[in-house]
Amino acid sequence: MIANERVLAVDQSLPSSWSRTRIGIFLRQPVSWVFLIVGGIIAFLSLYPAAFLFYGSLTDAPLGVPGHFTLANYIRAYADPEAYPLLLNSFIFGFGSSGLSVVFALSLAWVTIRTNAPYRRLFELTAIIPNILPPILVSISWVMLLNPSNGLINASIVKLLGVEQGPFNIYSIPGLIFVEALILTPLAFLIIAAAMKSMDPSLEESAKTLGSGELGVACRITFPLMRPAILAAATLNFVRAVESFDTPAIIALPARIEVFTTKIWREALGSFPTNHNLAAAYGVGILAIALTFVYLYRRLTSQVENFSTVTGKGFRPHQIDLGGWRYLASGFSFLLLVLLVILPILVLLLVALLPYYHVPTWQTWHKLTLENFRYIWATSRVHRAFANSMFLALFGATVCMTLAALASYITVRSKIAARGILEGLVFIPWAFPGTALALGLLWAYVDFPIPVYATIWIILIAYVTRFLPYGMRAVSSTIIQIHKELEEASVVCGAGFLSTFRRVLIPMMRPGVMAGWIILVTIFMREFSATLFLYSPGAEPLGPLLYFLYLDGMRGRVAAIGLVISLISVILIAIAQRYSHWESK
Amino acid sequence: MLKKIMFFLSLFTSIFYAAAFAQAQSAKLIEAAKKEGKAVAYGSLESDTMDAIIKGFQKKTGIEVESWRASATKVMDRSMSEFRAGKPLADVILINDNPLRLMQQQGFFQKYESPTNSEFPKEAIDPFLGPRYRNVIIGIVYNKSVIKPADAPKSLEDLVKPQYKGKIVMPDPTQHTTTMQWVASLYKLMGKEKADKFIRDLAAMKPILVESLLPSAERVATGETPIAITYVKYAYMFGKKGAPLDYVRLPKMMGDGHYIGLASKAPHVNAGKAFIDYFLDDESMNMMAKLGEFVNRKGVLPPLPDADKIGFVEMDDLSAKEFAEKKKEYTQIFLR
Repeated sequence: MIANERVLAVDQSLPSSWSRTRIGIFLRQPVSWVFLIVGGIIAFLSLYPAAFLFYGSLTDAPLGVPGHFTLANYIRAYADPEAYPLLLNSFIFGFGSSGLSVVFALSLAWVTIRTNAPYRRLFELTAIIPNILPPILVSISWVMLLNPSNGLINASIVKLLGVEQGPFNIYSIPGLIFVEALILTPLAFLIIAAAMKSMDPSLEESAKTLGSGELGVACRITFPLMRPAILAAATLNFVRAVESFDTPAIIALPARIEVFTTKIWREALGSFPTNHNLAAAYGVGILAIALTFVYLYRRLTSQVENFSTVTGKGFRPHQIDLGGWRYLASGFSFLLLVLLVILPILVLLLVALLPYYHVPTWQTWHKLTLENFRYIWATSRVHRAFANSMFLALFGATVCMTLAALASYITVRSKIAARGILEGLVFIPWAFPGTALALGLLWAYVDFPIPVYATIWIILIAYVTRFLPYGMRAVSSTIIQIHKELEEASVVCGAGFLSTFRRVLIPMMRPGVMAGWIILVTIFMREFSATLFLYSPGAEPLGPLLYFLYLDGMRGRVAAIGLVISLISVILIAIAQRYSHWESK
Repeated sequence: MLKKIMFFLSLFTSIFYAAAFAQAQSAKLIEAAKKEGKAVAYGSLESDTMDAIIKGFQKKTGIEVESWRASATKVMDRSMSEFRAGKPLADVILINDNPLRLMQQQGFFQKYESPTNSEFPKEAIDPFLGPRYRNVIIGIVYNKSVIKPADAPKSLEDLVKPQYKGKIVMPDPTQHTTTMQWVASLYKLMGKEKADKFIRDLAAMKPILVESLLPSAERVATGETPIAITYVKYAYMFGKKGAPLDYVRLPKMMGDGHYIGLASKAPHVNAGKAFIDYFLDDESMNMMAKLGEFVNRKGVLPPLPDADKIGFVEMDDLSAKEFAEKKKEYTQIFLR
């Protein structure tokens, strides 16, 4: 009875009127304290650097120099009629690549998790690999494969079929969407796969009992139930595509296709001297778009009970026997794997083994060299960078996921009025273009009372600030699926909030937490846009090292280091999956 | 005769004393620098070149140098933000003159006359920033396996001939600042009227536009596009690895001058000075030339064929306002 009252008290802890009694009730709940602490940390992390950027967008002088209040940056950014068709291009690019990535991810997740297709475990392990590679390398690989003049695939078709020109042209809107979709697929895969693993098959079984076939069950039951995860992945990927610059710089620029980020680069970030004030004004626009999508996502998944498929009853998603079709399912997954992993990795391997990249001929075999791998082995700077990045990846991802798990719980489960704000806060730093945010972080922390600037800790702060939404999306979609009855049972048995969280929720959330952790580890191993401005020259992580080598035209070394990072990350992922709930069963 | 002997004797004595003084000064400086522990350098000099110079400096003095490499604009952004916030980390800055002068106007640098300044030609010495230690030269680079040297363009004007349509790659002059400067300074090579026409004709060739000068060279090295407007040094740097690249022997080529400056709030001022002394000295300049750079030392040349015949013309510096105007103008010409 007392325990039941406690449950009710949690639900009624909404401090709608700030009377003493209500504040007292609010503060008596452990979840309120968790909300205050987590909310405080997140508010600080996101608002502090964002405030500098907002301030920057409303002033006419660089940070550190007294300026005047002005709206000129906004007028310049948004009164330009040219900006709007570009925004439309960005939307087509964002919707196209995010949609395609979700289709790829959903198919791959369904085949690898729910069916008995052969080699499914291998597909699952390798699907994450593209997330490990810096996006710029993936884009370059695809240019080498599909450029119209000497792309390897086009050149092979020309040679084999004797046609005049290859059929593919990477320098086009479909080319741009295709490459970005491949870059975004692993993130969507991890989020969707985590939710799929936590699914209770009872609804599916009911449908089957009522005579529905396997495909009908998948289309009418499984995929609709996956809606929170699909929308989470699509929202994240859409915003990520709209604010991405790497792929458009490599593919859109030569194709003379302009998107919003290439305009920001041309007008603000790439101009001389850099116009940070204008970049911040553009960033606020992207932020508004991102927040609109977060709002839509919340609306679409607001009736969370509809998606609760992890209940207190024993469950294990059953494996669908595809019969003879399983080979076709494996074939389809293999095709995706070829596009996502094998082709880019082969190109990178070729780049790493050649003294300079060229279309391979028979003479190429004589030119192969291990020089780039020897460079990794012999250079202490590379070893130090690996050590720094390993620390940042393992420790940073763990800190970020702890915060993400608590924040997700509050936003999805608690009835605290301000919980929606928490989710909006998380998205603020993420929606700014990477370089603009890096400047905001630099301005924010260069003169911070605690001397974190130019230490490894500021990089850690930057990573948590920027990538918390990834962690949150991965966990939230899993929490939405966990039925409340489990927590209620725990509370009825006398457990407090913290022990319920630790003993009931964390084990149930484990697939989502591990998926988020894996995403973050792979990103932190090679992140550079925020790191570049913040690391001290003595403590260089891998991201900036790769960037400098790329800047110096050392593609071979970049590819070699990229491959070694991939190998290390695959080992880390394999270990992490061992600890995942569904694997240990 | 006696007068002559006296003259040479006094000359010899003064040279000897000057050398001894410089050595004593250098020893004193290095001693002070050692107490500071390290020097911190921010710059756009290629990592391999910088690493080799740092290694030489460490071997000679035992002082460590921490280096941060980025594009000139990023170097300016970071160092100015730290400077304004009163938390400067960098002792020396190595970038091209346009951003350097902008930083100078805001009081970022202090004047330092290195004893090695005298080794540079007088016309290459800026009264405040010291010697322009290298020139980074832009020209036409082509892939010999795609275009035979006989069929390659022979002049800038040749680039706009119909046979090269769709075969040229260059950085986008509306977004890459050095290329914008290069296009804006073309009048120095061909006169204003001819330059204006050439710029329009070049845009009409619909060159493939890329982000910066390196991707431009890379596309030529891989054979994706046969001709590039890029740094001439890449013909050597990629050629060293086996890429079939050559450059068009233009009578005159334009480029940018690079300097090394001492920060006015350098946390390790002596270590910074000691590094500048070594950096501008013969050993370091030779090292740089061997790695493909055009250094401003008489007789010290990169191992690029006919490097001695290249006539260098410095590009115009543009103010922030001029950059904005040119961006507008070139957007109309190149992107419409």
